[in-house]
Amino acid sequence: MSPLTLIFGLPLLAALLTALIPRNFRFVIRCVALLATFSSMVIALVMFCKCHPLDPGGMIRLKFLFEETHQWSPAIGFGYHVGVDGINLGLIVMGAIVAFAATFVSRRIETREKEFYILLMLMTGGILGAFASLDLVCFYGFHELALVPTFIMIGVWGRGDNKNFAAYQITLYLSAGALLVLLGLLALYLQLPPGNRSFDIVAITAYFQSHPIGAEAERWIFPLLLFGFGILVSLWPFHTWAPPGYGAAPTATAMLHAGVIKKFGLYGLIRIALPLMPAAAARWVPILAFLCLGNIIYCGLVAMRQRNLNLLIGNSSVAHMGFAFLGLASLSTIGMSGTVLIMVAHGFLAALTFALSGYLDEELKTLEIGEMGGLLRHLPFIGTAMIMAMLAGCGLPGFANFPGEMMVLFGSWHRYPVVVVIALWGALVIGGVYMLRAIRNIWHGAKPWPGISDPASAWRKLPFALLLACLIALGCYPRLLTDCIRSSVEPIARMASSGSVLKDNPANTIPHPAENPQLAAPKPGEGGSAIRNPQSPANPAATIPDAANVSPQPVPPMPTR
Amino acid sequence: MNEYLPWIILFLPLLAAVMIWLFCRKDPAGSAAISVTAVVAAFFCSVMLLAAGAMHYMEGDEFEMMARRSDSLFEWFGPDMMARHFVWFGSQFTWLQAGTLYVPFGVSVDPMSMFMLLVVTGVGSLIHIFSMAYMKGDRGYSRFFTCMSIFAFSMLGVVLSNNFLQLFIFWELVGVSSYMLIGFWYERPAAADAAKKAFLTNRVGDFGFLAGIIMIWAATGTLEFGPLQDVFVKHPSLVGTIGGLLIFCGAVGKSAQFPLHVWLPDAMEGPTPVSALIHAATMVAAGVYMICRVFFVFDPTAQTVIAWIGGTTALLAALIAIQQNDIKRILAYSTLSQLGYMVMAAGLSAQPAAMFHLATHACFKALLFLGAGSVIHAMSNEQDIWKMGRLRDKMPATTRTFLIGTLALCGLPPLSGFYSKDAILAAAAGKNQVLFCIGVAVAALTTFYMFRLVLVVFWGGAKSDLTAHAHESPRTMTWPLIGLAIASVVAGVLGIQQVLEPQFSMAPADSSFAPWWLCLMLRDGGLAMSQLKDAVLEPLLVAPVPMLCGLGAIALGFLAAWGLYRNAASDPLPENLPTMCRVLRNKFYFDELYAWLIACTLDALAQVAGFADRYILARGIRFISGGTDLFGRGLRLVQTGNLQAYALLTAAGIALALWLMLRS
Repeated sequence: MSPLTLIFGLPLLAALLTALIPRNFRFVIRCVALLATFSSMVIALVMFCKCHPLDPGGMIRLKFLFEETHQWSPAIGFGYHVGVDGINLGLIVMGAIVAFAATFVSRRIETREKEFYILLMLMTGGILGAFASLDLVCFYGFHELALVPTFIMIGVWGRGDNKNFAAYQITLYLSAGALLVLLGLLALYLQLPPGNRSFDIVAITAYFQSHPIGAEAERWIFPLLLFGFGILVSLWPFHTWAPPGYGAAPTATAMLHAGVIKKFGLYGLIRIALPLMPAAAARWVPILAFLCLGNIIYCGLVAMRQRNLNLLIGNSSVAHMGFAFLGLASLSTIGMSGTVLIMVAHGFLAALTFALSGYLDEELKTLEIGEMGGLLRHLPFIGTAMIMAMLAGCGLPGFANFPGEMMVLFGSWHRYPVVVVIALWGALVIGGVYMLRAIRNIWHGAKPWPGISDPASAWRKLPFALLLACLIALGCYPRLLTDCIRSSVEPIARMASSGSVLKDNPANTIPHPAENPQLAAPKPGEGGSAIRNPQSPANPAATIPDAANVSPQPVPPMPTR
Repeated sequence: MNEYLPWIILFLPLLAAVMIWLFCRKDPAGSAAISVTAVVAAFFCSVMLLAAGAMHYMEGDEFEMMARRSDSLFEWFGPDMMARHFVWFGSQFTWLQAGTLYVPFGVSVDPMSMFMLLVVTGVGSLIHIFSMAYMKGDRGYSRFFTCMSIFAFSMLGVVLSNNFLQLFIFWELVGVSSYMLIGFWYERPAAADAAKKAFLTNRVGDFGFLAGIIMIWAATGTLEFGPLQDVFVKHPSLVGTIGGLLIFCGAVGKSAQFPLHVWLPDAMEGPTPVSALIHAATMVAAGVYMICRVFFVFDPTAQTVIAWIGGTTALLAALIAIQQNDIKRILAYSTLSQLGYMVMAAGLSAQPAAMFHLATHACFKALLFLGAGSVIHAMSNEQDIWKMGRLRDKMPATTRTFLIGTLALCGLPPLSGFYSKDAILAAAAGKNQVLFCIGVAVAALTTFYMFRLVLVVFWGGAKSDLTAHAHESPRTMTWPLIGLAIASVVAGVLGIQQVLEPQFSMAPADSSFAPWWLCLMLRDGGLAMSQLKDAVLEPLLVAPVPMLCGLGAIALGFLAAWGLYRNAASDPLPENLPTMCRVLRNKFYFDELYAWLIACTLDALAQVAGFADRYILARGIRFISGGTDLFGRGLRLVQTGNLQAYALLTAAGIALALWLMLRS
């Protein structure tokens, strides 16, 4: 039994168990949920420690660890296949940690806890299962399992006057997106030869590598998948469901949705859409790059106008997704690795910010920024945590978002220099403006607030500290994840960029000389002298030797005489 | 052991910050002790590192060095690539790697960074000791020292970085430490606003900086300074003027050059030790350090732009300083002006002169700020100079050290400021006459406003009752002042400029310079004396005309200040030159201009986006759902429940089907 089955199976089991527990055993219900998510988290972390980076260079097949396969219906090729590689490893670990934190902060739900925790466990199991699945039916089905409970949770336990509208809007909009995805996935399945059809992602990828999809089919399948997955990730202009939805949602739902479920679309694009349809990808990614500017700049500007904290965070979250899309649009190893890192980093960040704002809502009974002010004196822990989170949101080094954004920008420069410059402005300046204005108006200043205080015990501070620690750990040493990520992203980037003009994108797959011993040490006299010729950037024949001589060697410490 | 010293120096303050925050939050004495110990230990480690570099040649190479003594050139550094870049110690590990992007995290110690290490840790230690007494009793004492330690870590990171992205990381961390420290008293609206302004202005500069970094990486494929220097030697205009200017943007933001200078005066809202450390000695110097570090990136056009921006800033700030009345604001504008000098020197390809002035300026400006802090402390937090006066009787030690600092700043021989300013003026005289004239004018203005400050605060008559309660500060506050005063006096003849010279002239590795104190260590007394004599008399021998112009400017400024402010009870200038003084007092209305610009562009765009989001896009979605609803209602009309209607519809359907079938 693969640990992955346990990771998403335990919450689903907990949901079943909770259904059997009487309604008024509140403590027991909560314990079951906490135990399930805690175990998931521990198993995920152990699995993470056991994962080694898969060896890079010349990979033909995708390689997965901790695989488990069962054939359920050979006739249509539907089975149970789970596995983890660099891309979904980080997502699963992040999802498990966020789910645990979300369960923890739900202690404030006072009515109908039983139903709430059942739905929460369903969401957790669903999205973790979706990330772990390598079978298209399970992939889609688990995601739907995770999506539907949001409707009920926002409708019943939500806050604000227009929570019903927000609940309807988010569910119908995302279901429309999921419907487009379903059409695309089925169309993809039907492109396989009739005797050889399978829903297994590994099998499909292997088949389409050797027999590429026809151009006419690619022409309409790719946009379906692109926009379907895009709606799920709040691609501009299909983003208006996100801020009101998160504003109205209860804390745990917002944390799980913004942090984890939203990444499903990006994961789908990396896993399925981009590698299998490179020619269509080449045609559509410039449009994607343009749309992601909409996310970054437009939603950043909208965030500047918000007076409600949750709407501000929601718009900021949509703006971050713009970076993730830019990394995908770059079709390079650097950019796509950056996207995966952003997915994980943003998961932690969104969960942390929504948890903190949920705490503020509990204490202050309001989320209007105009009514706040001078809170740092009264809530030092929450205040420090939120200031750190907001600074992380504007790309401060030391937090995980920074290396992700850097990789995306560096990786996209060769294709879209103008977009990168504008995105840089959006990240650094616009992001800084609304975050710092928010800090100034919420935390700085002096105002009396009788009766509010920080979480009383260290135990209650745990979820915030946990998410913050994850952000800082990844930010200080991104190689914890990026070593695994890049080795899995490389074959995908190679497949995805094989249809595009910039065939030898220097930001793509040329390995660093440190990994390639025979290219490693230049002679002392010529150290660092060979350089990619600036006048002719695209020269397919001479890429690897030229570019490989570029990077320097580790500087040895000076020998003492 | 010596290979680990740079890492120890770098991480000691971080360790201190973490320890204070986790364990000593309620213990003020403990937090101060940990923080001060960390910085002082870092200083001693830096001295050990310097000695190690010097010892390197004392053990075993003495005979070769003696043999080459005749041409006064010593082989200072080891062979091969490290030698070509004058690196003494360097080591790194891989921080991030994907595709062709390789970002190491490493330390690299060469003469420039060695010397910045000494400045940062040395001046930093003295300021930490000063703030132990200055911040006593403050509610956020532990938080203060945590933030100071984080700042020390970030600044040391900037100094020791060996590649662009690591430099940028620590650059941003320095910015955020500054944000935390300027907004230390966050309950004060002015302080909170000043912190936000500083961070955002820095960010605008960082935007250009990062764009430049990406451009350089795209053109060369590497981010590390050593290999980059090799590349740029071969292809000087690889990224063109634009790339160089984008990189310079970062320095414009961090070192508060025109047009991003508006945050520095407001940053005086922070505690005075913060102003001394961050906004005089170290953080603002980081911009100058960076320009000197990557001097090879700038092509001649970019260098001209840099020099002109430096000169403009120097002049602008000096003019504004004439009419400021807050003691810290005057010093802030003075800092801006001196930074302008340094940037101007860097733009004139006189990077050793710029670094030299950076060092001397760090000493005497920190001294002046700490002296001002001492005065403010004695005056119960009053900062208006027109409420002080005759403080020289009450605070002798502060007065004397402040006077030494002022004289050093004005450039009186033989204090350190004289040598460093003269180096800059000599460079300007040689390359660009207009900038030379601006430099001399600024020197005169500097003397004028500094003596205005000194005469009004320490001389003249008492201008308010607060002076009656003034008294000298405790010893932990006066001893750092004395230390910095000594440094301000001697720093000029240490031969700093000559030691750095080979690194910038891209001379071959075996050309280096041994200053007189090194000759003494090498037990060569004769050479030491001749080097010392050369160092002391250098301006007279090398460039007498700039030196005389500088001295003339000092005399002019002093006489003007003496005449106007010797016994003035209030400022005589505004009555006689009202418009000019009003413009100067309002800092040329830059703040108002920028506020208007931001409102016109960013806020207007945000309003448009908000409107579009709420009324166009959202309504678009509701339109679709409304359309679906309407469609459903339309279809519902068919369900009448009436049998005849159903029969009619069935017949119509059959007719339609028959027609379609028979048509084809």
